[in-house]
Amino acid sequence: MSDTSAAPATGHASGEPDALAAGPTTRERLDRYVALIGPMAMIAAVLLLMAILEPARYFRLSNFDIILKDAALYMPMAMAMTLVICTRGIDLSIGSVAALTAIIMAYMVKSFGFPWWVAVPLAISLGALCGLVNGLIITRLKVPDLIGTLAMDLAYRGFALVLAKGVVLSRFPEEIVAIGRGEIPGFVAIPVVIGLSTLLLGYVIYTRTRLGRYALAIGSNPEAAELTGIPVDRYKIYVYVLMGAMAGLAGVMLAGKLNAVQATSAPFFNLHVIAAVVVGGTSLFGGRGSIVGSLAGVLLLSMMINALVTLRIEFFWQSVASGAVIIASVAFYTWLQKSDRDGGGSLGSKFASPEARRTLRLIATLFAITGALFLLGWLFAGETTAVR
Amino acid sequence: MVPVQERTPLIAMRGIGKRFGGVTALDDVDLEVQAGEVLAIVGDNGAGKSTLIKILTGVYRPTSGTMTMAGEPLLLNGHSDAIDRGIDAVYQSLALADHLTPAANLFLGSELTRRVLGVTLLDNRRMRREAERVLQERLGVRLRSMDVPTSSLSGGQRQAVAIARAVYNSELKVLVMDEPTAALGPQETARTLKLIQAVRDQGIAVIVISHSLDDVFAVSDRIQVMRRGRRAGIVRTSESDITSVLGMIVGAADRNAA
Repeated sequence: MSDTSAAPATGHASGEPDALAAGPTTRERLDRYVALIGPMAMIAAVLLLMAILEPARYFRLSNFDIILKDAALYMPMAMAMTLVICTRGIDLSIGSVAALTAIIMAYMVKSFGFPWWVAVPLAISLGALCGLVNGLIITRLKVPDLIGTLAMDLAYRGFALVLAKGVVLSRFPEEIVAIGRGEIPGFVAIPVVIGLSTLLLGYVIYTRTRLGRYALAIGSNPEAAELTGIPVDRYKIYVYVLMGAMAGLAGVMLAGKLNAVQATSAPFFNLHVIAAVVVGGTSLFGGRGSIVGSLAGVLLLSMMINALVTLRIEFFWQSVASGAVIIASVAFYTWLQKSDRDGGGSLGSKFASPEARRTLRLIATLFAITGALFLLGWLFAGETTAVR
Repeated sequence: MVPVQERTPLIAMRGIGKRFGGVTALDDVDLEVQAGEVLAIVGDNGAGKSTLIKILTGVYRPTSGTMTMAGEPLLLNGHSDAIDRGIDAVYQSLALADHLTPAANLFLGSELTRRVLGVTLLDNRRMRREAERVLQERLGVRLRSMDVPTSSLSGGQRQAVAIARAVYNSELKVLVMDEPTAALGPQETARTLKLIQAVRDQGIAVIVISHSLDDVFAVSDRIQVMRRGRRAGIVRTSESDITSVLGMIVGAADRNAA
């Protein structure tokens, strides 16, 4: 776009030179790729770390295949979750939806002899139905999304437990197993193809359809969306239906991958997927998201977990690492947004205010009390009984 | 300059009354506006300005009274009905989705689409081009960039995007603007007033609600003063001054009508 002041006014209200620089600033040009900077930097950090610590076992084609297959499971849900979060929504029920739909699919196949090509679409449409229920609860009953989907997470999990009791359903038709872990000779695995296809679909939805545009508009300014005649509630429901359908698909992929499913499967799908999406630069405050960023986020989490496994670090450290990554990336994006306005001060200036000193005093006091209690316990320690 | 009484007004509201429960918001109010003029509506808080405008834009239904458009009876069933008849509004909040581009905002709710393999997809390129054209040709505004979030534009340019959204409708006959300059600095205010004149010069009737009498005198052709749900007066801007309009607003000088 050319310079405003250089253009002669053809209309009535123009003519005054615009004091601002014409065209997007460098910062604004970069802004579009911000969603990728965070996860890419962290992916680079993981790669660098592994290149130092365990290059031989990490940098193997077979290992990247494992990473991709692990990530594939989360790709469909990350795609839909990106849209959900863009509308300022959240869906905490996806793990239970995946478990419930997989259990029902397993029963239909194993106890009622349904063919796989009915059972798989059935699972996806059951997931969509769960999403529809979520959407209706949020839009019609006006239950806030956080509580509404949290409650439905309990309900769907309960249904799954009622249906399956403690039973593990296993040994599915080979087509379902293929969806979860099938290989295409000389190419990536079938679940990876499915996952990437859903992300591609998501990209088209996000950039080229009313659904994507309205999801952003609703998240950006719900009142404006309403005023411009967008059927806000209907589009919110669409987004949750898509989310549910993708959770159903993930349920099928998980069942196929493990060739088994039980009512307690997929316990942390919701937080893992939300983490991947948020790490990928989608704003929890709505209106801003990135499908490509979500792909990067999913890959980062899978690479990180794989790295921890490769380093033989205890499994439970995974959740510590995931939590740290989420906090780091959200703090990073918030910091980026903030420096837009006031430029930000130096680290030292942040501790200079009396308010900051009070906070520091609280931190010091809490540490002192906790430390003192440990010391007290140690001084008065009696007989010990082994924990493990 | 603007003949008022001779022609049939584009919009005429007659004897409009509106009650909310026991509260009378409007009582027997008239309003006329011609094509190609700026009518300012001024008055204290609670004088009935917003209620009157919401009746014209189809948001409220009047309890009593009639409306005509170019002499024909005008019955509105909701705001979208008003938009279909060529009556639109720009709100004080501008109703812009700040994260979206100007073009996406301009076409929000009425996107241009194309069909690809039987699927309806957004035609982003055409929307961008059309948005640029409407802003340039109808409002004489060239945005800093078409590819930035609308939030990064100046107040005046955001205003232009909101106005362009209404003006893009080629059937637009009446544009209502609620406090267009309330949140703007002096320079942005001047630009917005020029935008209002640009819209008026295209033969569109512009109704401006404002608290700023300076702005009202700078841009309007006539001023309607509301007080306690009634029309306290109507004057030609060129034949009046701030003091007498202020007097009508607070009720000091009664029957100062032109």
